[in-house]
Amino acid sequence: MSSLQFDISQRPDFGLLTVQLEQGQKIYSEPAAMASMDPSIGMKAGLKGGLGKTLGKAFGGESIIINTFSADSGPGEVVFAPGAPGDVTHYQLDMSSLYLQRGAFMCHSEGIELTGKWQGAKGFFSGKGLVLLKAEGTGDLFFNSYGAILEVDVTDEYIVDTSYVVAFEETLDYSVSVLPGLKVGGKLKSFLFGGEGLVVRYRGQGRVWVQTRAVNPFLSWVYPFRPAKNNN
Amino acid sequence: MQFEILAQPAASALRLTMDAGEELTAEVGAMIAMSAGFTVETSGRKKGGGGGLMKGLKRMFAGESFFLNHFTAQQSAQTLILGPKLLGDIMHHNLSGTLIVQGSSWMASDPGIDIDASWQGFGKALFSGEAMFWVKCSGHGDLFLSSFGAIYEIDVDGEYTVDTGHIVAFEDTLQFRIGKAGESLIGSFLGGEGLVCKFSGQGKLYCQSHNPPSFGSVLGPKLKPR
Repeated sequence: MSSLQFDISQRPDFGLLTVQLEQGQKIYSEPAAMASMDPSIGMKAGLKGGLGKTLGKAFGGESIIINTFSADSGPGEVVFAPGAPGDVTHYQLDMSSLYLQRGAFMCHSEGIELTGKWQGAKGFFSGKGLVLLKAEGTGDLFFNSYGAILEVDVTDEYIVDTSYVVAFEETLDYSVSVLPGLKVGGKLKSFLFGGEGLVVRYRGQGRVWVQTRAVNPFLSWVYPFRPAKNNN
Repeated sequence: MQFEILAQPAASALRLTMDAGEELTAEVGAMIAMSAGFTVETSGRKKGGGGGLMKGLKRMFAGESFFLNHFTAQQSAQTLILGPKLLGDIMHHNLSGTLIVQGSSWMASDPGIDIDASWQGFGKALFSGEAMFWVKCSGHGDLFLSSFGAIYEIDVDGEYTVDTGHIVAFEDTLQFRIGKAGESLIGSFLGGEGLVCKFSGQGKLYCQSHNPPSFGSVLGPKLKPR
């Protein structure tokens, strides 16, 4: 499988991914990700993989539909952009896998399978906020963020707020817990923050990608500006 | 303590590297990620200072939470990444004296800096509709502020007028009074200008290119009532 020719520009605020497809090449994307494309590219919206896999995607919080772009009638380019003002990162999979947070998936080349299946009792849904997809196989994977993406090399132990997790390598062990300071006398204070305060604790060696902005904190900022309910 | 401000200006984040025993106080929602060698303690006020949890609660119901996380590094070379909620910049201010900071712009500071979130120098009633509060920071040390949009600095010498929503912080060597931008109060509200702050004297003033309450009032009415 020849790898994709691509360019990521306008980082980190307005990350834009331009992919040059050779004739016959395909790329699979999150439905809202495509911004523009050449007329030689055919787009097919549809279910990819078996029913189980599709349901898995729904579980992961991603759309049930994956769009397929094929350079059937000749080579051409497709431009993808994140939904929020944010960054784009490329990751090369080589018979390996990468975990992505809900909403971080942008697109992938042929040779990669995307699933949102349970991985045992490790806590896919252990608490609010952390819902993961797993990309597995060999090929090019692109993920996006709200804000910039920072790469962190974990060598021992590392903590990330669940809202800010973008992706991480499978070599890392992870668990979801409450930020230590939020527990006072054994009692959880996180009710004060509307369920925020959950963190992912990584152990081992591997890379984690975090985003510098998150949707939930922004929404909690907007909340007080909502109009008060009129009971008359 | 070393720091680096990344991805400026719109997606900015602050990365700190701290050695054993070094401390930082930060706004509770600011933590993005951190090494495991920190102890974190949450409170509704500055450590050892006045205030108390109830005050923190009141702030939250007024539209802003003002809970603080106290980070203490237990080992050497611990990293901490902080970021604001809105798209915008982060600045470092080496405090020596007193700075009045808009509540949503205060992000983190050295524990040697005294933080008073009950500062009412502008008067209480004026801002109740705008969900704004102010933090008085005094002492010596590193202070980190965030903005909505870009930050620009004005060296006030004489008089200067700023819309209150565009204030990030100002030195308390400045005198100020709240007023209306236009001829009449009604006219100035209709003209889209909120209340303005008229500074005089000498001192530094930090402004932000965008006004958070204005943005909030653009989004709010389009959402379901709470």
